[in-house]
Amino acid sequence: MSYLSLSNITKQFGDTVVVDDFSLDVEKGEFVSFLGPSGCGKTTTLRMVAGFEMPTAGRITLDGADITEKAPNQRNVGMIFQSYALFPNMTVAQNIGFGLGVRKEPKEMISQRVEEMISLINLENHANKYPYQLSGGQQQRVSLARALAIHPQVLLLDEPLSALDAKIRVSLRAEIRAIQKKLGITAIFVTHDQEEALSISDRIVVMNAGLMEQVGTPFEIYNFPQTQFVANFVGSLNTANAEVSDPVKGLLNVDGVQFITASDIKSRKKGDAIRVSVRPERFSFAFEEKKENVLDCTIENITFLGSVVRIQVKIGEAKFNMDTFNNPFLDLPKIGSKEQVTCSREAVLVLDE
Amino acid sequence: MAQTAVKPVKLVSVPTNWKTWLGVVPFFLFAVLFLFLPSLRLFTASFTSPEGTFTFDNIIQLVSAPFIVNAYKLSIQISAVTALGGGILGFLMAYSVTVGGLPKPLRSALITFSGVASNFAGVPLAFAFVATLGRQGFITHILRDYFGLSIYDAGFNLYSFAGLSLVYMYFQFPLMVLIMAPALDGLKREWREAAENLGASTTQYWLKVALPVLLPSILGAMILLFGNAFGAYATAYALTGGRIGIVTIQIGAQIRGDVLYNPGLGYAMAIGMVVIMAISLAGYSWLQAKTERWLK
Amino acid sequence: MSFLSRLRRVPFWSWIWFLVGALYFILPLFATFEFSLTWDPAIPFKAYQRSFADNKFWETFIYSNVLAVATIIFSIVLIVPTAYWIRLRLPQARRIVEFITLMPFVVPAIILVFGLIRIYSTPFSIPFTDIVFMQPLTNFKAGTNILIVSGYMVLAMPYMYRSVDTGMRTVDIRTLTEAAQSLGANWFVIISRVILPNIRSALLSGALLTFAIVVGEVTLASFLGVNAFGPYLFLLGQHRAYEPAALSFFSFLLTWLAMGLIQLVSGGQGQAAGAH
Repeated sequence: MSYLSLSNITKQFGDTVVVDDFSLDVEKGEFVSFLGPSGCGKTTTLRMVAGFEMPTAGRITLDGADITEKAPNQRNVGMIFQSYALFPNMTVAQNIGFGLGVRKEPKEMISQRVEEMISLINLENHANKYPYQLSGGQQQRVSLARALAIHPQVLLLDEPLSALDAKIRVSLRAEIRAIQKKLGITAIFVTHDQEEALSISDRIVVMNAGLMEQVGTPFEIYNFPQTQFVANFVGSLNTANAEVSDPVKGLLNVDGVQFITASDIKSRKKGDAIRVSVRPERFSFAFEEKKENVLDCTIENITFLGSVVRIQVKIGEAKFNMDTFNNPFLDLPKIGSKEQVTCSREAVLVLDE
Repeated sequence: MAQTAVKPVKLVSVPTNWKTWLGVVPFFLFAVLFLFLPSLRLFTASFTSPEGTFTFDNIIQLVSAPFIVNAYKLSIQISAVTALGGGILGFLMAYSVTVGGLPKPLRSALITFSGVASNFAGVPLAFAFVATLGRQGFITHILRDYFGLSIYDAGFNLYSFAGLSLVYMYFQFPLMVLIMAPALDGLKREWREAAENLGASTTQYWLKVALPVLLPSILGAMILLFGNAFGAYATAYALTGGRIGIVTIQIGAQIRGDVLYNPGLGYAMAIGMVVIMAISLAGYSWLQAKTERWLK
Repeated sequence: MSFLSRLRRVPFWSWIWFLVGALYFILPLFATFEFSLTWDPAIPFKAYQRSFADNKFWETFIYSNVLAVATIIFSIVLIVPTAYWIRLRLPQARRIVEFITLMPFVVPAIILVFGLIRIYSTPFSIPFTDIVFMQPLTNFKAGTNILIVSGYMVLAMPYMYRSVDTGMRTVDIRTLTEAAQSLGANWFVIISRVILPNIRSALLSGALLTFAIVVGEVTLASFLGVNAFGPYLFLLGQHRAYEPAALSFFSFLLTWLAMGLIQLVSGGQGQAAGAH
């Protein structure tokens, strides 16, 4: 049996189903992210693990014990909030020691643990400061230390980086991951930021409208999205209407241009209307001889995005974005010029709606 | 929108020069004419004897004459008791409609009612309590007829310390509700959840987090309540007809009274009051600043 | 279901505190109302009929209302531009002005009125001469009215300033002004068509609190010798039993209606708390 297990969890508020039949097994030491748009049920699921919400149906077990109905203050899981939630009347050290204090641990043990935690988050010179004297990033590190001080069985992070500046967000996310690996602690991380989820997780659970869309490693989620929603939400995606012209060979017709796909469309019939998706970075200019998906196009627009240059091309009547890495010697085509672009048949995805 | 021929005003923000201060001159002028000059005039008048000569007598009496010292004592006692009593009841009521989990409509009803009641002072309030707790009052009768308890035989008197305190409480605790409701709203749900998550019980959360966070607001509000009762005149006068010797009534009697008449002494007592009020206001501002710093 | 969450679901103590407070609120009002009806069992509203039949009542009540309206208008004229100017151009004056608006708390009505009388009962003369260019304000009716309205403006200042300032903060007056300026509006248009409409509910809240303070006020009115509603009620109470009860209840209802109006117009946002 796995370390943390959610079985058939359903949560309803009145008539609204917020989480629908959610099942997930998390191994000890694993870092799992819940990724999805706001209102998808990811935070509610996390709060059910913390005990702030009670599932309408289903069980949650932690290390073999059923914790479904346990009060939050009996659970021994550490939680980190988006708004830091540091106690404003306590210093950094007092905040970190709070959990041990309410457990009536001996004083020496608390101060030793607090010291240990403060050095873990590199805030040695700030132990006696109050939260309002710290920056957002520092406050969130204190909140991490406070949650870890009680030796929690699971660490729950509810969008911990969303309130921070872009730069700090990246560095703190690496720090969280490093500390999690060092301590070997099991963590669940809720976010709506796909880049964050991809960079930090062992596994990602993509959620939408209370339902689990796909579970997998970041590599699987990005490269082999199983649904249209996942493909759209993680990374950017071109989508166009197409018509099946040969289900067995995998031939599609997009506005008069023929595409070949590696996706299995044998169950479809000739003439069926479907949607076809291609990630922008899978396109490239067709310089050398290619056998498949060599497509005539017109350059519509060029957008400079920094490390990437996004080129909008028109293939037939459909418009696609194509991403290419920037370098100073890049020879960009002129707007309006005719070019040829290509992509492999594996890049052409036909996904479940 | 109506088009006017006037040029749009400039957007540039220049360093403040003396002309910018002209904008607040009317306000300062008003404050000087109707607030500071009158106060200052009382200050100088308190060094004047009934015969119109310069004297330190009034200031000396302020701390030596027993009836004056007692008046201050009584005023401070009534203010402190009603600030504490009104503060506690007001806090509990504010708690019940904010984090206490009562239905939302009760909250706006309570806030509206508190707005009225905190300004329901003076003559009408005195009559209301006479009708309630006077010798022929509604509650007095109920207690006598149904519970066999005659509160007047038991020593209660509406026109005494206890009675006046009960009356003052009527405008004290609504004021507390008005001040504390926003402060209680400032308690973040996450603090409670974080505390619970770290293993704290509800009692531990209140003792270690919520009450310490609220303490400056609570004390600050109670100081306001103290001043609120300390400066009250009309309610006490309407209720007792001047028979209770609190400072404000003594001041009125010294300046306008028929029996006692020593305006200089009255002005000196007024200055004494201003000093006490100023000290409590300073305490209030200090606590206010502390709270704002925490809750940023 | 855990004990904690069950406890949160049934707020037993909250109900207790709320009901205790509610009783404290309601009992005196009910007792007053009940008492006002007992004058003559045959004519239940006799006390009200008698009160409203008295010309003195209407005279003083209308006069007090006129005073209240005057106080509100002059307060708005004085405080809105000041608060606006401080938010926009003079933030360094903020602390001192806030301090001054709290001063009426330090100088209660009973002290303020004697100070005003002391100053304005002497004639205005050119310093070091005997040339009098204005009689004492307390000597003529218009002068007394100026004094009492000014006094009420002082008493209402903490409420008015706080309401207006809070209103301006919530609508971000600075950005609104800059937007209006960039569209070519002049000061008159900005204040009358942008600022005032946006702080409407704050103004109303401050105005009605002012109203509540002024209409039943006794201290200033009686020492300045003004025939206002407060002193009238007080005198009535010395000789009569039932009419004052009826009028007390009536004035409470009136204040309550006014406050209800704040809630209605401002959607529960406009309540200002301050020093009493």
